[in-house]
Amino acid sequence: MNTKGVDFASDKVLASRFLSEFADANGEAKYINILQDVANHKTRSVEIDLDDLMNYKDLDEEFLTRVTENTRRYVGIFADAIDELMPEPTEAFIDDDHDILMTQRSDEGTEGADGSDPHQKMPSEIKRFFEVYVKASSKGRPFTIREVKASNIGQLVRLAGIVTRCSDVKPLMQVAVYTCEDCGFEIYQEVTARIFMPLFECPSRRCVMNKNKGNVILQLRASKFLRFQEAKIQELAEHVPKGHIPRTMTVHLRGELTRKVAPGDVVELSGIFLPIPYVGFRAMRAGLVADTYLEAMSVSHFKKKYEEYELRGDEEEQIKRLAEDGDIYDKLARSLAPEIFGHEDIKKALLLLLVGAPHRQLKDGMKIRGDLHICLMGDPGVAKSQLLKHIINVAPRGVYTTGKGSSGVGLTAAVQKDPVTNEMVLEGGALVLSDMGICAIDEFDKMDESDRTSIHEVMEQQTVSIAKAGITTSLNARTAVLAAANPAWGRYDLRRTPAENINLPPALLSRFDLLWLILDRADMDNDLEMARHVVYVHQNKESPALGFTPLEPSVLRAYISTARRLSPTVPRELEEYIASAYSSIRQEEAKSTTPHSYTTVRTLLSILRISAALARLRFAETVAQSDVDEALRLMQMSKFSLYSDDRQRSGLDAISDIYSILRDEAARSHKMDVNYRDALNWISRKGYSEAQLKECLEEYAALNVWQIHPQTFDIKFIDA
Amino acid sequence: MVGPQYDLLANPLGVVRSTFDTAIASGSDPTTLNGRDWGAINLFRHFLSDQSQLSQVPLLTPATIKYVKPNTLVRFRGMIQDMLGNEFYVGTFKDGSVWRTNKFSDISQYPIPSGSSVDNQIWERRLLYCVPIPGLSPWAESTPETDANLSMDCTSDQREKRRRGDDESSDMHVENDEVVEGSPNTKRMREGEGERSSLASQSQGAVPDIAGSCTSLMSGLNGNSTSCIVKIYDTPESELRLNDIFEFVGILTSDLEIQDDCEDRDLLNDFSEDPLHNFPPNKVPRLHCLIHRKLSILDFLQHTPIIEPKPDLVKGIRESLLKHLSAVLGNDDVAAHFMLLHLLSKVQARVDALAVGKFSVNFTCFSKEIASIFGKQLNLAIKNLVPFTHCIPLTVEYLNTASLAPKKNYDKNRLETGVLQLAEGSHLIVDETQLEAGTLNSVGVENASLLKNLMEMQKVDYDFKYYKMEMATDVQLLVLSEGKSNILPADVIVPIRPSATNCSEAVSAETWEAWRWYLGTVRQLPHCMESGMEKMVESDLVDAIQADRSLSIQDFSRWLTMGRLMSLSYGETSMSLEHWQMAKELERLRRERIK
Repeated sequence: MNTKGVDFASDKVLASRFLSEFADANGEAKYINILQDVANHKTRSVEIDLDDLMNYKDLDEEFLTRVTENTRRYVGIFADAIDELMPEPTEAFIDDDHDILMTQRSDEGTEGADGSDPHQKMPSEIKRFFEVYVKASSKGRPFTIREVKASNIGQLVRLAGIVTRCSDVKPLMQVAVYTCEDCGFEIYQEVTARIFMPLFECPSRRCVMNKNKGNVILQLRASKFLRFQEAKIQELAEHVPKGHIPRTMTVHLRGELTRKVAPGDVVELSGIFLPIPYVGFRAMRAGLVADTYLEAMSVSHFKKKYEEYELRGDEEEQIKRLAEDGDIYDKLARSLAPEIFGHEDIKKALLLLLVGAPHRQLKDGMKIRGDLHICLMGDPGVAKSQLLKHIINVAPRGVYTTGKGSSGVGLTAAVQKDPVTNEMVLEGGALVLSDMGICAIDEFDKMDESDRTSIHEVMEQQTVSIAKAGITTSLNARTAVLAAANPAWGRYDLRRTPAENINLPPALLSRFDLLWLILDRADMDNDLEMARHVVYVHQNKESPALGFTPLEPSVLRAYISTARRLSPTVPRELEEYIASAYSSIRQEEAKSTTPHSYTTVRTLLSILRISAALARLRFAETVAQSDVDEALRLMQMSKFSLYSDDRQRSGLDAISDIYSILRDEAARSHKMDVNYRDALNWISRKGYSEAQLKECLEEYAALNVWQIHPQTFDIKFIDA
Repeated sequence: MVGPQYDLLANPLGVVRSTFDTAIASGSDPTTLNGRDWGAINLFRHFLSDQSQLSQVPLLTPATIKYVKPNTLVRFRGMIQDMLGNEFYVGTFKDGSVWRTNKFSDISQYPIPSGSSVDNQIWERRLLYCVPIPGLSPWAESTPETDANLSMDCTSDQREKRRRGDDESSDMHVENDEVVEGSPNTKRMREGEGERSSLASQSQGAVPDIAGSCTSLMSGLNGNSTSCIVKIYDTPESELRLNDIFEFVGILTSDLEIQDDCEDRDLLNDFSEDPLHNFPPNKVPRLHCLIHRKLSILDFLQHTPIIEPKPDLVKGIRESLLKHLSAVLGNDDVAAHFMLLHLLSKVQARVDALAVGKFSVNFTCFSKEIASIFGKQLNLAIKNLVPFTHCIPLTVEYLNTASLAPKKNYDKNRLETGVLQLAEGSHLIVDETQLEAGTLNSVGVENASLLKNLMEMQKVDYDFKYYKMEMATDVQLLVLSEGKSNILPADVIVPIRPSATNCSEAVSAETWEAWRWYLGTVRQLPHCMESGMEKMVESDLVDAIQADRSLSIQDFSRWLTMGRLMSLSYGETSMSLEHWQMAKELERLRRERIK
C-alpha cells in the first residue's frame, strides 16, 4: 500500500480518459452511455468493471494495480473524473426536492462567495446523484473468507460466502447541512465515519468576525443521506477445512447495493477490505485491535441451475479434452459414487438421468418431457440410498427426501394456514422445490396415498395442481425423479412373479424410463470380493485403489452442464430402426405369458429420451444408431436378473441361446458378417456377458459354423 | 544467541521485546517479520523443553487463577471449543525512529502514532476459545502439587483477589468502584456508568447463557470452571483443530484497561461487534500463546510410569483389569471381555462413510433392578479408567429438550456447545433403561438421529443454521438397555448374565494408575496383519457368509476390529491366529446368548 510518489491528479486524467474512451465489444462507448443515463436520472450507479480496465487498449498496468490496492481512494478519483465528464441531460425529468434545492443553492452560491471557507464550499458529494462502484475482475477463483489476510487491507477482493444476518436498511448521513440563525449561511459538513460530532457554532467568516456564536440548525431535508445496510457473511461449508469452524465477516452495503441480499443467500461479493477506525475511548486503547469489514462494491448471487452454470478457469479446456477422449461415457459413469463397488450399468443410467433429454413442445402446445425418471428397486442393503445421495450431491439442484417425508407438506405441495396472519399460504413440497433439478425419493413404496396420486401428474405433465381452500393453481415441477423402493415383501422373493414383487401400480411404473432391479445374490466371487475389501480396508486404512482416478464432482457438473445445452435431433433414417426395435419388444411381450414390463408408447418415448441423452454426452447434434442401441441395451439390462431366471426355467443353455440370437440377427439384416461390437450389443441386451459370448464363439467356431477374426473377433458365418 | 537478560517466567514480554530489538539491530526489516518468529519462540521452547522448568510455569485452574499475575507465563490445558476468527492488530510500529512490537500483548507499551499507516504494520493472530475438557475425570485433573513449588507473591495481588471475589457476588457497582481506583480512565467510566451497569448486567446475563448449554456437562465437575481465550500466532491452521486437547504455554493478560467502552457500543449497533464482546476479560482471561502441545491420554496420568509395554507385564495388567471388569459386571466373563475390547477401541481411519476401528457395545438385559446395581458400578469403573467420560440418561423428556449438537448462535456469533461436542477419545454411556414410551417432538427426532449418526458413523452434524457441518468424532459408546436398543444401533449386542451382585473389592491407587497407563498405551500401538494371516481371515469370512447369508459387511468389519483389539490387548502389534480364534470364540459365545 505504498502510496508515496503517486500523483493522484495525473491518475484522475487517466481515469477520465479511460471513461471517455473505453469501447466495449460492440464499439459503443460504454461508460459515456452510462453517464448519459445518470444525467437523465435513469440510473444511479456507475459500475466500473476492472475487466474493462484490463481490456482497455491503453492499459497502464501500474494504474490497474493502484486501483486494486488502494480502491477506496480511486473510487473518489473516478467520481471526480465523472463529475467533469457528466454530460447535459438529454431528456426531461421531473425535478425532485433535491434538484430544487440544488438550483437554489447555485443561485445563492455566488452571493456570499467567500470561497476560502471550507465549511461553506459545497462538497462535491452533495451535488452527485450517482454512486461509483469498482467491480473486481471476475477472472480466477474468488477468495474464501479464510484467505483474506492482513495484507489485503485496503485492497479490492472478491469472495464467496453465505449471508447469515442482515440489518435493516438505515439512512447514513453523507453530508450534513446546517443553517445558521444569525448569518443565514448554509454550512456543510462531510461525514466519513459512522459517528460524527455535530457542529454547534457557526464557523462562517461573518459570524466569526462578529464574534457571535451563531446557533446552527441541522437541516435534515437538505442533508444528503445514503441507504446503508450491514450484513454478515460466513464461509461456505465446502471451503471450511476439516475440523474447523466457518469464519464470518461483516459487510457494509451502501446505496444501490442495499436490499440485494437476504439471510441464506449464497453470494459472490467484491469489495474493499477495510479496518474500522476506532473513535473515542477505543482509540485510546492505542488502536491495537482493529475490527475489519468489507465495503461491498458488487453483489451477485450464485447460480445453481445447469442452464446458468458458468464455467470457470480451465474447466472449459478440461471438458474439451474429456470430450475428445472416446471413453467419456464409461469414465463419467464410473466417477459417479466411485466408492460404491460395481453397478456399472446403474451408474450409466444415473449419468443419463443427470444429463436428461431436451424438452419438446409441439405446435399444438403439447409438452413432452425431457427428464428421465429412474426407479431403483432392490433388496435392502444394496447401497440404493447411497447412490441417491451421491447423485444429489453431484446435481447442482437436487432434493433428497423419503416417501414418508416428515413435514406436512409432503412431496408435492400443501395449503397451510399461516399461524400469525391466519392467511392461507401455498407451500411447495420436495418435488416443487426441485424444479429444474433432480428429486430423489427414497422409500418410494412407502409413500402416502395422496402423494402417490399427485406424483402421476408430476412425472408426466411436470406440474403440481392444487385446489384447496380456495386456492386453485398449478406449480411447475420440471424435475427428474429418482426413486428407490424395496420389493413387496422387503426382499425379492424369487418364487413369486416379478409383477408381484414390484408392488407399484402399472400406471406409475410405466412412467419410469428405467426400472432397475438390484438383487443381492449368493455368489462365491462376490463374497470373496467383499471379504477382501473388508480386510483391505482394515489393513491399509483406505479403500482399495479404484484402478482409475474418478473425476471431481465439479468437473462432472461442468461437463454435464455443457452437455445439457445441446438439443440433439433424431435423423430420418433412424426412425425406421427405432420403430422396428419397439415393435419387436412389443411382440416379445405379447408372446410371453408373464410379462416383466409394460411396454407402451411411453417406452418408445423413453428410448428416444435415453438416446438423446447419450447423444448429448457425445456433444453430438444428432442421435446416432449406436445411441439407440445403447438405450435398448440399458433398458434390457435393467431387467437382467428377471431374464436370467426365465432362461433357467426354459432350460435353454446360455451358449446355444447366444448362438440363436446371433443367427437371428444376422438373418434379419441378410448379412454373413457380424461385427463383434454389434454381437456384444445384441447379446448383452438379452442379459448375457462378454465371457459367455467368447465361449459361444469358440465353441461354434470349433463346429465350423462360423469363422472368427483372430484380432477383431468379427464373426463370419460359413455358408451351409 | 544471547542469554536471556530477562526472567522468562515473570517477564516474558520483556524477552519478546528484547529479542525483537536484537533482530532489528541485526538488520531485519520489521515489515518482513509478519508471520515469522524472530527468535523469541525458540528461546522459550528451549527454556521449556526442560521438564523442571515447565513445571515451574503455573497451570491456570479455578484455584490458581487467583494467584497468577498478568503478563507472566502460564500454562493452560483445555479443549478448543470455538474458533473466533482472526484479530488484526498493529504488529509493529515506529515510535519516533525506534521500531516497537505489540506481538504477544493486548496493549501497547508506547503510544502508537496515528496516521502514518506506512509505519504501522498490521498483523493478525487467531482467536481460539478454549474450555476445560468436558467430562474430565477427577483423577485426571492436575493436582495442586505441581503448583506447590510456585513462588507465590500473594501480597501484591490483593486487588486481583478482591476483584475476583466481587465478580462472584456479581455486584457490578462495587466492581466499578474497584475499576475506578486503578484505572486511568476514571472520568470516562463515571460518565457512562448508568449505561455501563445496564449493559454489564446484560452481558452478565449472556455469559451464563453460553455456559448454560454446557452445564449439563460441567455441573457435576466444577461450577467455577475456567475457560480461556487463546491467541495463536504464526501457526498453520491445520495444526489446531476444533475439539482437540492442547496444553498452551503463553503470556496471561487480563487487563482491566480493555474492559471497555460500552458506551461506544451503544452508538454502533450490535453488528460490528468485537468477537470478544461476549467474553468480558474479567471472566475470561486471555492467553497469548507461545508454545502449544497436543495432549494424549498418557499426559493425564499423574505419575507417568515410563516403562516399555513388555508382553508379560502387559499380560499381567490385562488379567487383573479383566478380573476387575468381570467383578463389576457381576462375574460375567464374556461381557468383561467385550468391555475390555470396547475400552481399547478407537477410530483408526475413515474410509468412505465407514469409521474403521469403532467398537460400540450395547449391554442388554439391563432391567431396572440390574441397572440400579451394576449401572453405578460400571459408571464408576469407567470414570476411574478413562480420562473423559459422560453419561446420558436417555429419557423422552431428555431427548425432547437437550441440545446435543453444537449450534451456531448468529446473534452472539458463538458456537454454542452441545453435549455431543466431545474431545477425541471420550467415553459416552447412554443409559436407556429409564426410557419409557412417549412422543418425541421435532427436537427429539433430531437428537435421536444425531445419536444414531454418532453411533453408526462417528460423526456429529454441527448446526450452522444455513447448513450442517459434519465433524468427525472419536467417542467410545456404551449403551445400556433392557432389550436391544433400536434407537442406537451399536456394533455389538451383549446380553449380560450377572451371577453375583457385589464387588466391593478395594483397588489401590497404583493399580488404577497401572490400568490407566495400560489402556492409554495399548490403545495407541500400531497394528498390522501379516499376509498369510490375511488370506486365512479372508477365507474364514467367506466360509462364514456361505454358511449364514444374513451376515453383512458390517459384521465382517466388526470381527476384524475385534481380532485387532484382542491382539492389541496383549500388547501385540500384529494379529496372530490365536487371537483371531479368541475373537471368533468370543463372538460365538455372544451369539449363543442372543439365540
